[in-house]
Amino acid sequence: MSDTQTEPTPAVTPAVTPAVTPAWWLVAEREITTKVRDKTFIGSTVFLLLIVLASIVIPALISGSDGPDKVAVVDPLGTAVVKRADQVAGGGAYEARQLAGVPEAERLVSDGDVDAALVPGDGGYTVVGGSEVDSDLLASLREALLAQQTERNAAGAGLTPDELRAGSGLTERLLDPGPIPPLVAELASIGLAIVFYMTALGFGMMIAQSVVQEKESRVVEILAAAVPIRALLWGKVLGNSIMALAQITVIAIAAIIGLTAIDRDDLLSVIAPVSGWFVVYFVLGFVALASLWAVAGSIATRQEDLQSTTLPGQMILLLPFFFSVFAGDSAKTVASFVPIASSMAMPGRMLTEDVPLWQPLVSIAILIAATVGLVAGGARLYERTLLQTGRRMGYREAIAQKAE
Amino acid sequence: MLTVSGLTRRFGETLALDDVRFEVAPGRLTGFVGANGAGKTTTMRIILGVLAPHAGEVRWNGTPLTRATRRSFGYMPEERGLYPKMKIRDQLVFFGKLHGLDPDAAAERVDKLLDRLGLAERAGDMLETLSLGNQQRVQIAAALVHEPVALVLDEPFSGLDPFAVDAMADLLREEVGSHVPVLFSSHQLELVERLCDDLVVLSHGKVVAAGAVDELRGNGRRTTVYRVVLDSDAGWLRDVAGLTVKDVDGCSAQIDVGEPGREQELLRAALERGPVRELTPVRPALSDVFREATSR
Repeated sequence: MSDTQTEPTPAVTPAVTPAVTPAWWLVAEREITTKVRDKTFIGSTVFLLLIVLASIVIPALISGSDGPDKVAVVDPLGTAVVKRADQVAGGGAYEARQLAGVPEAERLVSDGDVDAALVPGDGGYTVVGGSEVDSDLLASLREALLAQQTERNAAGAGLTPDELRAGSGLTERLLDPGPIPPLVAELASIGLAIVFYMTALGFGMMIAQSVVQEKESRVVEILAAAVPIRALLWGKVLGNSIMALAQITVIAIAAIIGLTAIDRDDLLSVIAPVSGWFVVYFVLGFVALASLWAVAGSIATRQEDLQSTTLPGQMILLLPFFFSVFAGDSAKTVASFVPIASSMAMPGRMLTEDVPLWQPLVSIAILIAATVGLVAGGARLYERTLLQTGRRMGYREAIAQKAE
Repeated sequence: MLTVSGLTRRFGETLALDDVRFEVAPGRLTGFVGANGAGKTTTMRIILGVLAPHAGEVRWNGTPLTRATRRSFGYMPEERGLYPKMKIRDQLVFFGKLHGLDPDAAAERVDKLLDRLGLAERAGDMLETLSLGNQQRVQIAAALVHEPVALVLDEPFSGLDPFAVDAMADLLREEVGSHVPVLFSSHQLELVERLCDDLVVLSHGKVVAAGAVDELRGNGRRTTVYRVVLDSDAGWLRDVAGLTVKDVDGCSAQIDVGEPGREQELLRAALERGPVRELTPVRPALSDVFREATSR
């Protein structure tokens, strides 16, 4: 018998090869695919998108950026005045429409075909409107007419336009120019805080629900037998963080499209760098709380328990949210260094004031330290409580539980 | 070979497991029986690493069980559960991958299993839309999907009708082949008797009997206990030397003849006194073994 004939039957060894996809990634993948197929999730994301787009575009539409205002005129001087007003406004603001006579001009005003009519009147000109005349339009026309007629009168007196205007120029110089108008900055900073609050709360609740669903359906026992409990936690945190990040990215793209559509590239150039910081703050702030959301799920036994077990998480988000939106400047400065609160306060401050670079760096370092601590503590609680399916526990009880 | 060695576990003041030790041999179905609360589920959860023992260990082919090895085990927990709102094919593939299969192998294997279980056309349905019996089939498929090297099944057949039990038992036999150790707990002793090769009896956290079912029932050797039915009163048997009379009831009696072959002497003696209607060897039913073992 040759010794190359047959191999001895090998003892039974596990067929698992270590090179296969890590468990935490499989869990994350399942979180994502399940959510992407969930119609409620898709619906709420689309809804959120529409709100963001609408809140940017609708104000612009209402303020009437639909082409130049049309002004009916009946003589060459009127045309010249409207042209001059348009030049002063930067072009594209006003357009003259030459008509045969006053009655026709008035008819077009009544019909709404033109915004106003500029017709010769007592001691100069009259602006004819329907029920009212836009105050900007009125002021522009008044200024243009004054300039036009003053020049004409001056020429009559032998002066050139430059001689006439000598020494009367007025320019503006700001010692502390804000990056963008204060009101816009204020609104944008509140907007960032709302985006963080809504997204962190929404996906946090999803983590808690996903955990309690596995407990409720008892599938957790099979999962825990197959993979380490920590792999389940990391998978959930990773999957939901990716989804949350994807959602705010989509919102950001919607905002960029919106701002471009209404020709506010100037705002974009200011908001874009702050958005970069915001993403860093968002990821850290979200991950810091993610394992606590998982614990909110693991100490519950049924969906109904989540109302009470997620309360601390909701408060941790809600209080800093109100603080960062409504507090005074010095309080906001403090908040921008407190973990979680900083995710909402610091990006806002960077929009409304000049923040020295060291401040966000220090604040992020504090946030990273807090994130590491919270994640480690959360993971420990999660491991101890996940397989307790008997009844709902309190946080205090979970913390007091001894590791086994 | 799966070896459970000296497992001890307390819950508060209660000693749930007390030095539990037994073996589950490759290719053999080992029944795990015991009254409610005897510690079966606790033992199984410790084997799967879902619960930690306070003492003792579980070994696989002689070395302590690692997580990597456990990942290749198949487990059906006492409390059933899969994802209710996930399509059954998707979730079986997920479990396959979670147990270490690559995606293609998992998909191929799942299709085969679903076909074998008659669930191929339900592959795209959510689990919750299936009947309870079919959900149970999917649960067994989830334990088998990665071709486990060992199987631990907690009450796998509870809730199934007799036909389904037979179908599932056939599937199990087919899947485990000659090399997979299977431990399964059950309350249905008749079922365990019919299906199992080996038996472990647990009572109040202790193993009170363990071994091959045949051995425990005394089938391996010839029994010395006989039932005799005569035409007249059997009371005289008490006076025959060398016989142990276990029970006499009118014309019938149960007798231990002491050693094989002596039943012939008994027969001759009885025939001298009159007709003998019956002489049958008596083997204990598994329920007797169980009752005797747990009453100690």
